[in-house]
Amino acid sequence: MQEQSRKPLSRRTFLKTLSTAIGGTAFLPLLAACQGTPPPGGGAQAPSGGPTATVLRAEAGAVEPTPAPRQAAAGRSTVIEVWYPYGGADAPLYEEYWKAFEDENPDIGVNAVYAANDLSTNAKLFTAIAGGKPPDVTWVDGPQVAEWAARGALEALDDRIAAAGIKPEDYWSPSWNQTVYEGKVWSLTYGSDPNFGFFWNKDVFVDAGLDPEKPPKTVEEMDEYDTIIAKVDGNRIERLGFIPWTVYGAANSLFTWGWCFGGEFYEPDSRKITANHPNVVKALEWMTAYAKKHDPTKISGFQAGFGSGTQHPFFQGKTAMAPFGPWELSALKRYAPNLQYGIDFLPTGPDGAPPKSSWVGGWTVGIPKGSRNLDAAFEFVRWISTSDTATMIAGKTFNQFPGYRNSPYYNEVQNNPQLKAFYDILVETKHQRPVMPAQAFYTGELARAVDAAIFGQKTPKEALDEATVNTQKELDRILREGIS
Amino acid sequence: MATPALRFKRRGLSPQQRRDLRSGLLFAAPAILGLLIFVAYPVLASIYFSFTSYSILQPPFWTGWENYQTLLFDDPLFYTTLYNTFYIAIFTIPLSVIVAMGLAMLLNVKVRGQSIYRTIFYLPTIVPFVASSVLWLWIFNPQYGILNTLLWYIGIQGPGWISDPSWAKPSLIIMNLWGVGSWMVIYLAGLQDTPQELYEAAELDGATAWQKTIYLTLPFMSPYILFSVILMLIGIFQYFTQVFVMTNGGPADATRVYAMYLYQNAFTYFKMGYASAMAWLMFVMVVLLTFVIFRTSARRVYYGGQ
Repeated sequence: MQEQSRKPLSRRTFLKTLSTAIGGTAFLPLLAACQGTPPPGGGAQAPSGGPTATVLRAEAGAVEPTPAPRQAAAGRSTVIEVWYPYGGADAPLYEEYWKAFEDENPDIGVNAVYAANDLSTNAKLFTAIAGGKPPDVTWVDGPQVAEWAARGALEALDDRIAAAGIKPEDYWSPSWNQTVYEGKVWSLTYGSDPNFGFFWNKDVFVDAGLDPEKPPKTVEEMDEYDTIIAKVDGNRIERLGFIPWTVYGAANSLFTWGWCFGGEFYEPDSRKITANHPNVVKALEWMTAYAKKHDPTKISGFQAGFGSGTQHPFFQGKTAMAPFGPWELSALKRYAPNLQYGIDFLPTGPDGAPPKSSWVGGWTVGIPKGSRNLDAAFEFVRWISTSDTATMIAGKTFNQFPGYRNSPYYNEVQNNPQLKAFYDILVETKHQRPVMPAQAFYTGELARAVDAAIFGQKTPKEALDEATVNTQKELDRILREGIS
Repeated sequence: MATPALRFKRRGLSPQQRRDLRSGLLFAAPAILGLLIFVAYPVLASIYFSFTSYSILQPPFWTGWENYQTLLFDDPLFYTTLYNTFYIAIFTIPLSVIVAMGLAMLLNVKVRGQSIYRTIFYLPTIVPFVASSVLWLWIFNPQYGILNTLLWYIGIQGPGWISDPSWAKPSLIIMNLWGVGSWMVIYLAGLQDTPQELYEAAELDGATAWQKTIYLTLPFMSPYILFSVILMLIGIFQYFTQVFVMTNGGPADATRVYAMYLYQNAFTYFKMGYASAMAWLMFVMVVLLTFVIFRTSARRVYYGGQ
């Protein structure tokens, strides 16, 4: 009998081959073993995208869909990766930027990727930087610049800015100030939000018997108007004049009213935190008085039925007065087109506080440390911050006032009464949030202080003293451990 | 010729056994490597980081025991978060056991549509945490939520629930009870494992339903209860998603649980070393508590079912 040229596959051979093959696949990325059955109400799962800034409660509409990455146009010699923080309905509008930049720069392509930045942190970006694969350009919120620079997350841009002929005077001074830390410039301001314009609902004023053309000029007047406007039906709040701590979160509210009352939050020369400045304490006491007037839980409940932005109670006619930024103009047009409103400066604070108080917010654009396309990246940063095209897009598509004062958009603004009102506010702006590396921590502490005061758990002075002490400790620790 | 029963004493492994061992290890290699790279390494790294100040973007800066000292002696928020977590644990665990056990016993009764009822009560556990958190935000809404509306119909003025510092934690506890489905299923399996003859014997002796429960059901269910209590304890210490979505720690720190504070330190405040120290303190606490639970229950748990 002839021997068969091929033996049938024995079990041993099969097992050997299979195990070698599977052993070889051990180097493929594997997901970690799951953490066991999460018990009800107790499993630790990774949070989904779209977290909010520290507010009293999460908003039901806050989790937005993540936009897909945008691929650069074909055939570009350099491709830069740009990470931007706007999801939801705004994301597709950004295509205008990417396209305009690519049109003006035929050798650079833009890959645009969404990276959530909840104004406290940008975990995706830091992981990328730490992992050595950062994007080339990133959006950085104004107050984050000092913190990120101190942690070595950004590239210093001084040389390139000087070479491009950009001078500090080209920007609104608070907007420029927030990008300078330890003598170096770390990003260029893209938007300067005049915070805030004081909006009032003319229809509600009429309904309450007030003159719709006369907004409150002082904080005391605002208090009176609130008493007149508020309608509480037993235990249910129907309408309120005003809720002081809902100006884009508790911390931003305290900043707004703290400055309005003539307070200061930080001493840059001595690096001292001054959250317990007497005028800031006065501002918080005033906010707390509103809470006591209407019961904070009731207000919290009243607020909880709405979100911010498009679901803000002002849009629904449930509050009659609110500080807003210019971006709300397009939102109001979209979601409350029949609302008759006026815009004015914030009411003047009590006891001789300087009038027309406002501060500048807004995003900046910078280059993360480790970017490999510094020239192209800086070209994008320069373009989006100072070019006519980009600043016009900022204004017209996004209602965002450019940080660059020489933008042609500011000529257009003069013709629109609503935008002109904001322009006047921007011209007078003197404040920006503290430029120091414990900014995220400070914001968190201020929000906690406001919460504690409003719910009566601490007096405003106690709460702010605690915030001051904690933040000072944190700031000292960071400075002591050294900055690269 | 097979000789399975006789085992000769040998030194080391036979070539056959060695080959089997190698094949087995190769098969298990992906899982072992995954465990080492993605679980063991981060865990060991975090022990190291807990003795440093680490901002992720810059190399770790050795600080010794400072993180632990600050946590234990200089950080009032640490104790607030511990209190919040323990509060939720102390109420959620016993209530969950009672509710799950009650449901399991009810669902053990042979009625029509039993499987439909079982499915319905299990459904809440497969709703993703984020979706259910958003849903419960609306249920708890003091002005327009279902809960307060129902209470209003029977003449009660409902509280602020999740927006009220004194009601925020009880609201979370209620929300947790909604999700006891998986424990209920485990208890159901256990109930069906209890010998029916004992129940019949007890009935003959004239035992009431309550007596049957206390003296028969609970002892037989004790290993299941122990198992679920320990897992619940571990889970509640990691309680995070619902708080993150619904309240972000507010109002006024009422729902700032341990894992929430850990997350803030790690990802918002650039204090990864501090957060690692928090994680290890949590580990120590959970181990101690588990040990205590095992010790105190050793005599009460009856493993006679097998």
